[in-house]
Amino acid sequence: MKDEKMQSFILHPSSLILFFKVGTMTAQAQAPANRFEPRQGPTVNLDCQLGTVRYSPCGRFLAAGAYDATVRRWEVTDAGFTAMPSLTGHRGWVQALAFHPDRRRLFTADSWGEVRSWTYAERQAPPVRTMAAAHDGWIRDLAISPDGRLLATCGRDQKVRLWSIEDGRKLHELTEHNDDVFSVAFHPDGRSLVSGDLHGNVKQWDVANGRKMREFACRPLFFNAANFEQNVGGVRRLVFDAQGRTLACAGSRARTGGNVQGHPTALLFDWASGQLRHTLVVGDGADGYMYDVAFHATGFLMGVTSGNPGTGKFFFIRPGEQTPFFLSTRMTNCQSLAVHPNGTRLVVAATNAGSNGNGRPLRNGVYAANMSPLHVWDLPAS
Amino acid sequence: MNFKKLCTPLDHRISRRQWLGGVAGTTAGALGLCQPGLAQELRRRRKQVLFVWLEGGLSQLESWDPKPNTLFGGPFRAIPTTVPGIHISELWPRTAQQMRHLAVIRSLHTQDNNHSSGVGRIQRGDPANRGVTYPYFGSAVANLLGPGESGLPPYIWVKPGSGGFVTSDAGFLGPRYGALALGGGRAPENLLRADSVSEEDDRERLALRQLADRRYVQQRRTQGTEANSYVYDMAAQLQRHAHLFNSTTLPARDLERYGPSEFGRHMLLGRRLLEAGVTFVKVDSHGWDTHGDNFNGHSNAVPKIDQAFSAMMQDLADRSMLDNVLVVLMSEFGRTPRINGHIGRDHWAEGWSLVMAGSGIRRGVVVGRTNALGTFVEGDEHDIGHLFHTWFTALGINPSRTRYNNAGQPLPIAHEDMEPIRALLA
Repeated sequence: MKDEKMQSFILHPSSLILFFKVGTMTAQAQAPANRFEPRQGPTVNLDCQLGTVRYSPCGRFLAAGAYDATVRRWEVTDAGFTAMPSLTGHRGWVQALAFHPDRRRLFTADSWGEVRSWTYAERQAPPVRTMAAAHDGWIRDLAISPDGRLLATCGRDQKVRLWSIEDGRKLHELTEHNDDVFSVAFHPDGRSLVSGDLHGNVKQWDVANGRKMREFACRPLFFNAANFEQNVGGVRRLVFDAQGRTLACAGSRARTGGNVQGHPTALLFDWASGQLRHTLVVGDGADGYMYDVAFHATGFLMGVTSGNPGTGKFFFIRPGEQTPFFLSTRMTNCQSLAVHPNGTRLVVAATNAGSNGNGRPLRNGVYAANMSPLHVWDLPAS
Repeated sequence: MNFKKLCTPLDHRISRRQWLGGVAGTTAGALGLCQPGLAQELRRRRKQVLFVWLEGGLSQLESWDPKPNTLFGGPFRAIPTTVPGIHISELWPRTAQQMRHLAVIRSLHTQDNNHSSGVGRIQRGDPANRGVTYPYFGSAVANLLGPGESGLPPYIWVKPGSGGFVTSDAGFLGPRYGALALGGGRAPENLLRADSVSEEDDRERLALRQLADRRYVQQRRTQGTEANSYVYDMAAQLQRHAHLFNSTTLPARDLERYGPSEFGRHMLLGRRLLEAGVTFVKVDSHGWDTHGDNFNGHSNAVPKIDQAFSAMMQDLADRSMLDNVLVVLMSEFGRTPRINGHIGRDHWAEGWSLVMAGSGIRRGVVVGRTNALGTFVEGDEHDIGHLFHTWFTALGINPSRTRYNNAGQPLPIAHEDMEPIRALLA
């Protein structure tokens, strides 16, 4: 353990001004024990809770979907993160967003069923297109095909939909899920789409005709406690490695309802054979979900977890190994992980400490909301 | 122990009709009431209760008091109901169609946000401390309204998990006012007479046991022995109603309407029990303590409740039973407006909601309100004591005049410092 000077950024509620402060905090990270060990940088504090955070393909912008129906943006420079005006107009939680490969457009979706696209680099950016009723209610995820022609969305209405990005037409409606569909991802070859639902069903679809091609069984990611109405779990994130050889399905091997405690878990499938190759577990049974993962260019899995308030892990783990070779528990309740396109910087959306409590936890006499700090980590180049 | 039934002077201020009824009937003592005429009158009206209990804490923001697109509102939308101006969470589309029968209260501020103590305080009505353990609402109603003519136990609890005779609900009323819990919606174990025992042998065996019980009680009268005898008698009665537990005779249409969930099956059994004349039917659902993943939890659990509850409301309305059956759906508290890092909501007793319907309750109304963020009640706050006054009044029981008789100690049936919420009463 050592003390080091940390610089943090505090965002003014207007989202237009950044304050800088320098303080002393205790860093858990040791001197790098391996060549990929990341080093924690500044923290950007916000006034809202975030769902997903992502870097733009050019790496010059960072965007985050917020629970206050806004999309937060920053311009990223060597000097830090400069807040841009929030994108407004959504009405529900914004948990899903994706940058178009044209390096011009950002697609966002909310919990009221609306999809919007924006020219994200513009300071004032009215929506380019609004699909007001893309789904009936909560859109859980969206993805854009590698060639930029297709948009995939999924939601609480149990539907997966494929849209033409060119004109916004619905091309296919994929209806074989019988429960909430949490996640979608295009294979890097652009010919297949995968979607994952609450019950741990992952389906592969032919994007040309909308036909189901095969299924991947992720049933360990679903749990129903005896005598409980509540179903728990689901495939919370689907991610391919860059070559499209491995599909990671992330979630939790839950063991309780209510508090929802379980083992954050990723199931890694060999894409060619469809066989489950690795089950990666990070955390014990008192933990929660593996909410977000990404493959490093060299093949290991980077991810974040969130469980009972106060818990949370940021980890690197190699397929086939039992324990992460990097693990930080410094951040609480991590929701999302953004990887810079050059692979040397990571941003983790987490939650403030002390976020829970029964009754009336007042701060300075005010019933305050929680918020999601953005933790910046630098990663050695591979 | 003194078994003489004592009444306060107030208890004797009853109408001539009630008095005559009490003289004619001799069961008032058995009901433990100080107002025999009232017991007779209540029996004539045959009030019943359906009490739906969501164990752990239903979120008011994901049910009856949505605050869409606000700081703590969560991801869901609000939807209109069959009553213009009343909106509820989109997770309850079928119940929204039944709103014309329902009354919503959004101004609850209760006193306990712990499960362990809060469940008891809520279901006992949180009366002023009298140094005794008050009965749960089910036991109270079983005592105050009696079993009726059905021959069935007055308080039946359909719940997940294990069953049995739960005497702890009865408090000072004594174990015989406990709940017959049907774990998993199943009939009590060994309810039916074994094939190897003839009907005549069974009858003789029962008579012999009753004789032994009477002789034993003459020497050592206790609430325990009474309850023991009562349970055997109850089992004998239940044997005559074994058909209630035969789900194969349920119409397929009903099974479909109530849904395939365990709660759906239990509500359908609850309807059968009400139709058969059970005074108080409690139906439990577990898994509502959503400290983690609250929104997904409500997203997939609420539809099961919505389907079965709305089907029940429709059936009670179609059968004209809402005139006599009081319906309550509630938890021990609500959930925090603040969303924690596990994307859950914690316990919140300071501004929450529930729904009710039926006997004596106004229909298609909302009473009380919270502020724009849903954090605290604006205007008059209401506690569980107010609701007990309201529900007893709705059942035709005057809570300010009716007293329990706890072995000579007169006790109020609801918190003395509170009164009914008039805006909820028809």
